[in-house]
Amino acid sequence: MIVRTLLAAICAGLIAGIFMTAAQELRLTPLILKAETYEAAPGSGATPAHEHSSRASDTFLQSLAAALDPIPAAYAHDGAEHEEGGTLFGMSRFSGTLIANLVTGAGFGLILGGLGIALGRPPTLRTGLAWGALGWLSVHLLPALGLPPELPGFPAGDLADRQTWWLMTTVLSAIGLGIIALRKEIWAKAAGLGLLAVPHLYGAPQPGDLASPVPAVLGAEFAVAALATTLAFWLVLGTVSGAINDRFVPKT
Amino acid sequence: MSHGAITEVVMAVTNASGVSLSLNDRMIAALLSLFIGAFLVFGAGLAHSSALHDTAHDVRHSFGFPCH
Repeated sequence: MIVRTLLAAICAGLIAGIFMTAAQELRLTPLILKAETYEAAPGSGATPAHEHSSRASDTFLQSLAAALDPIPAAYAHDGAEHEEGGTLFGMSRFSGTLIANLVTGAGFGLILGGLGIALGRPPTLRTGLAWGALGWLSVHLLPALGLPPELPGFPAGDLADRQTWWLMTTVLSAIGLGIIALRKEIWAKAAGLGLLAVPHLYGAPQPGDLASPVPAVLGAEFAVAALATTLAFWLVLGTVSGAINDRFVPKT
Repeated sequence: MSHGAITEVVMAVTNASGVSLSLNDRMIAALLSLFIGAFLVFGAGLAHSSALHDTAHDVRHSFGFPCH
């Protein structure tokens, strides 16, 4: 039963990862490529916050070429800060994205499945949407209140600080939402809300200087598109996990 | 993978693994699942290796993982 639940989680994650790749190619990757053309644009005056080169271009053919190039211009990092550039196994930008989405999907699927087993209520077709929605709230929406999904080229605080804050927020949000969803007592729900609020009262690490060479409109479009896409990803992940569980995993 | 193939794989695996489940087994499975899942998400989303970063670049931005 447990092996089936885990296999179901991985299958659901792979399906959600494929779905996410399609959604990303339609909306998010074009915005990232566009932002990279502004990064370190000549004459912008601002120092680039970020080390990608600006060789990517707007024309369709050139962006197509950039997408298929084993080491796209966007990844040609300055040697000073990174020991080596280039993708794993020289994959193209698209295949790198696909693989990373599959890995991330399987990872989130396993985390969802693991929590389901631990709590004794694995996702079903009926509860899958709720599982997915809670996952999205705790991994994306709540952390995004402090650290919205950002495009390359926008200023940001120290990476390690942001990663620590992001991880803490995700874990505390998941625990808080879990308590609110599963416990009936009013004090438990209040404590859950408290856990949700803690990281935001503490505050996310912010950059000192907000100036950016990338137009703010692109950043806003990207943040909304990223949150919408990840919402769809989590709803697919939860529902497919539930559907596979219902179909292949016997109830005990 | 076709529907039939998935059924076959799942059947093969479950036939090999027993049916009895103690609470202990369940917790081990849950922890294992959480651990592997966290490892995969960490590798794709948070690890500082520049090869991993460059491969997963667009995914990290799209998922809102802190990046750069």
